[in-house]
Amino acid sequence: MNAENPEREKTERMSPTDNELMESVRDGRVEKLAVLFERYQTMLYNFFLRLTGNRAASEDLVQDVFMRVLKYRTGYMGDSRFNVWFFQIARNAHIDYLRKRKGTLPLDEQYVETPSHEPLPEAAYEADREAELVRRALDRLPVQKRELLVLFRFQNLKLREIAELLGCQVGTVKAQVHRALKDLSRIYLDLQKGNVS
Amino acid sequence: MNCERTQEKFADYLTGDLDEAGRTDVQRHILACAACREDIESLTVVWAKLGVLPEEQPGGGLRHRFYAMLEEYKDGLGAQEKTARPAGGLAGWQDWFTFRRPAFAASFSAFLLFVGLGAGWLLNGGGAGGGRLTTLSREVQDMRQQVGLSLLSQPSATDRIQGIGYSAAVENPNDKTLAALFNALDNDPNPNVRLAAVDALYLFRTKPGVKESLVRSLAIQNYPLVQVALIDFLVEVREARAAEALKLLIEKNELTPEVKKRAEQGLKQIV
Repeated sequence: MNAENPEREKTERMSPTDNELMESVRDGRVEKLAVLFERYQTMLYNFFLRLTGNRAASEDLVQDVFMRVLKYRTGYMGDSRFNVWFFQIARNAHIDYLRKRKGTLPLDEQYVETPSHEPLPEAAYEADREAELVRRALDRLPVQKRELLVLFRFQNLKLREIAELLGCQVGTVKAQVHRALKDLSRIYLDLQKGNVS
Repeated sequence: MNCERTQEKFADYLTGDLDEAGRTDVQRHILACAACREDIESLTVVWAKLGVLPEEQPGGGLRHRFYAMLEEYKDGLGAQEKTARPAGGLAGWQDWFTFRRPAFAASFSAFLLFVGLGAGWLLNGGGAGGGRLTTLSREVQDMRQQVGLSLLSQPSATDRIQGIGYSAAVENPNDKTLAALFNALDNDPNPNVRLAAVDALYLFRTKPGVKESLVRSLAIQNYPLVQVALIDFLVEVREARAAEALKLLIEKNELTPEVKKRAEQGLKQIV
C-alpha cells in the first residue's frame, strides 16, 4: 500500500514490513504483533469510530481484531497482502458487533462526545460544527456505503484492494463509491439546510 | 467518452490517481456535459468535507489491554508447548478466563471478598449516611492499591501488568503506588510492563513529580515502543522540560529511525 511513498519505502527498508511481521506472528513469534498493534491501533480505532460512532465500542473492536489475528494467525498466507487480510478481520468483527447491537440506538445518537468545559473560539466552533455535520451525514448512510467510503477515504485502501476485500470487480467498487458519495452529498446538503433533524 | 465511462473515472479523479490522458478525458467531457460537471463538483466538495473529520487517539487503556492480552496468549502458548497439547487457539483463552495463576487468584479473591463484605455491611446498616459510603469507597481504593502492589512484585509479567491495571483504577494513588509505577517503568525487564506503566502514569499526569519522572525515564529507555509511548505522553501534556531530553535522545546513535523521527516531530511540537 505504500509502494508509491518513497519516504515510507525508505523507512520500510530498515524496518520489517507488515507482511514480514505477520509471517513472524504466524510462525510463533507472537510478540511481533506488538509492532503491528503500534502501527495500526490508531488507524483501526478511527475506522471503527467512523462506523460505530462509539469510542468505547471502537476500542473493544480494536482489541477484538487483535485477538482474532492471534486466533487465525496460522491461516495467514505469506503471499497475502496484509492490509486486505487485516481489514477482512476488522470487517468481520464489525459485522458481529452490528449483529449484537441490532435494535439499539441509531448511530448518531450513540456518539459519545468528550465533555468540553472551555468555550470554543469562533473558528474552532465553526470547524467543530462542520465536522459534526459531516459525521452526522456519514452516520445516515447505509452501513455498506459508509464502510466503503471509510475504507476508501480514510484507510487509504486502493480501489483494487477494496475490490479484493469485498470480493467484487474494481469497476463495481468505482460505481459504488460514486453512488455513496452522491448520497452523502445529498444528505449533507439536507442537514445543512435543516431539512433533516 | 460518454457519461457512464466518465463517471467510472470519478473515484480515481478525486484521489488524483488518474493518469494525464484520463484526466484530460474527464475534463473534456465535463466541459461539454453540464450534468456530469455538476456531479463532479458536488463530489469534490463532499470529498473535501470528509477531510474535516479529525483523527482521534484511542485511550491509553487500549494499549494496556492489548499487552495484557498478548502476555496471556504467550503464557498460554508456553504452557501448551510444555504439556505438548495439540496446537489450537482455545487453550490460551481458557487461561484468560480462569484464574490459574495463584498470585492473581489470591489477590483477586481477597479483593472480591472485601468488596462483598463491605457491601453487606452497608446494606445491614440500612444504607444510612454518605459517610459510610465514603469510608467504604476509600477502603476499596486502599485495597485496590494493595492488590496492585502485591501483583507488581510477582515474577510473572502478566501479573505485573494486572497489578498496573489495579493501580491505574485508583482515583488518588498514594506515594507507594506511584513509586511502584515509576519503578516498573524504569526497571521492569519486560517492555510490555513498562508500556503499561506509561499508560497508567498518563492517568496520574497531574500528580506532582509524574512528568519529571517520565522525562528522566526517557533517557534510560532503550526499547523503541516504550520510547515512542513516552514521547507521545510528553508531547500530549506539552511538557516543556522534555525538550532537553528529546534533544539528547535524538543524538543517540542506537536510536531507530522511527523513534528518531517521532522525537524530532515531538520536539517541534513542544518548543
